[in-house]
Amino acid sequence: MSVARANSIIPSSIIIVGGGASGVVLAAHLLKSVNPDLRVTLIEKRPHFGQGIAYSTLLSAHVLNVSAAGMSAYADDPLNFWRWLQGQGLISQEQTPQTPFYAPRSVYARYLKELLDELEAREKETGRLRLIREESLSISPTSSGVEVTLANGTSVVAHLAVLATGHDEQPGAGQGHAIRMGTEADTALDPDASVLVLGTGLSMVDAFLSLEQRGHRGEIVAVSRRGLLPSPHRKGAPIKLDVADIPLGTQLSYFVGWFRDLIRENQKAGIDWRDVVDGLRPFNQKIWQNWPSSAKRRFVEHTKAWWDIHRHRLAPEVHARVTEAVKSGRIRPVAGRVVGIAADDGFAVEIQSRHTQALETLQVARIYDCTGIARDISTTSNSVVRSLVDRGLARPDPLRLGLDVTAKCEIIAGDGTASAKILAVGPLTRGTFFEIDAIPDIRVQSARLSKQLLG
Amino acid sequence: MLTKKGKYGLKALVHLAQLPAAQLAFVGDIASSNNIPKKFLDAILGELRNAGFVQSRKGKEGGYRLARPADEIKVGHVVRVLDGPLAPIPCASRTQYQRCEDCNEATCQVRHLMLEVRQAIAEVLDQRTLAEMRDIVLDDLTVAGGELAPAQKVIA
Repeated sequence: MSVARANSIIPSSIIIVGGGASGVVLAAHLLKSVNPDLRVTLIEKRPHFGQGIAYSTLLSAHVLNVSAAGMSAYADDPLNFWRWLQGQGLISQEQTPQTPFYAPRSVYARYLKELLDELEAREKETGRLRLIREESLSISPTSSGVEVTLANGTSVVAHLAVLATGHDEQPGAGQGHAIRMGTEADTALDPDASVLVLGTGLSMVDAFLSLEQRGHRGEIVAVSRRGLLPSPHRKGAPIKLDVADIPLGTQLSYFVGWFRDLIRENQKAGIDWRDVVDGLRPFNQKIWQNWPSSAKRRFVEHTKAWWDIHRHRLAPEVHARVTEAVKSGRIRPVAGRVVGIAADDGFAVEIQSRHTQALETLQVARIYDCTGIARDISTTSNSVVRSLVDRGLARPDPLRLGLDVTAKCEIIAGDGTASAKILAVGPLTRGTFFEIDAIPDIRVQSARLSKQLLG
Repeated sequence: MLTKKGKYGLKALVHLAQLPAAQLAFVGDIASSNNIPKKFLDAILGELRNAGFVQSRKGKEGGYRLARPADEIKVGHVVRVLDGPLAPIPCASRTQYQRCEDCNEATCQVRHLMLEVRQAIAEVLDQRTLAEMRDIVLDDLTVAGGELAPAQKVIA
């Protein structure tokens, strides 16, 4: 790796910190470049690349929330995953991509692993790809590039580094006694005990499916501010929109009014609301970026919960299981908030209803944190991100959804200057790109970043 | 197509953009200095307020001002609010599509090209801010009158 070339126009050595799904997708896009001097170093602390938190589950009921036709790792080859599934015999050759297929997430992890294996084999001769299984501790800018310090005491240098550390592994501060499902703290439970889940979205559904799998029989109380459960997917085709159709830069209420009217008009024409919501998807980042900060704040505060249940939907089979569980009382969704937790033999949790203000005390054996992915980045459990923020090299975005980054993915320091050497992709960039948690968005971001960096 | 409504709205906003921050302008003053019928302007400013581009204050000391700095308001954003989807002809819109009486849209090459044109319109209008538009005017006046302060450089 020649650091002496740092002043050349094309940075040829790039470290990707985080080898989960976003890291692998970014590496795959970078390696499409024909530049023989390119060096991509992918660093992952987990034993397996391409899994991260999202795709490490082995439970077959944990399926992707997006149909296989939308899950290709490549922005310019949207059916790459679909064909891989056909090659594996997991979907028939006759099935068309218009018929949704929700693959288990473990299968997706295998797809990413094979993709990375192939890249590794292909680049063996060239030496353009290097994988390091180690925890990264910090990134520091140097005069000629960056240096990434690893937990084993060594360090790696390159022209620039891209953070792809994804979602936080630990519950946010203030979640008290809540733990994440599947972590070490998630020990065996009395199958008849009640449990509390903080959150009623897709992560709550994952937790429910895991508990079912373990033979849990006790009540699952799921609490969130509004107590809204995700909607199911349905076969359809997104409506066609152009950017010229969409009001940008307005106040939130104006936009919401326009969008409601659009749904109503389409429904009159027999088109499902899902097709309208999905038709907006290509423009979501643009809409977000053009809103004044007051509209962004209002959206996060008041509208996001509604948006999420319509936008982030469940595979129909999973939705049917959740609906059945709610009907039979296995899941009890509560609109309200936790006002107090007392730890004794288990936890006595006091919940206040959103609608009646009534207080209810629950006796639960465990509290799972499924509040989703947004949390204050300055309290992150990720040491690399934490150390950047602590040293003033990075800062939270104004809404504290992630790191403050420019539209070119460059992280912004505490003093407001953008870094040309440290960049970020994926969920960390939510403050700037908003919808950047899912593969269909991350692959587009990766394609754009590759072009930006390598031409 | 930019209607009179869109044109008047932009002129009114440029008028407001020329005022010192936080200073309110009377509707009557905006109307007379830009040659806009006052009643029409009332309606236009009402729509711009709903969309969050201007703020108003009622009463004797009342009037309108920009809700945000002029360099944060894009021209294309204003035009969509006043004139609806950007489109050179009514059939070249996806949300407010108006069928032409005299042709078949599936085979109409004109519509096809105009759908492309609207993308270009959006690209231009969504790049330009009110501040830039205000300063383009200043530039011209500087050349003509030679007595105004040098205009800010317009960033394309």
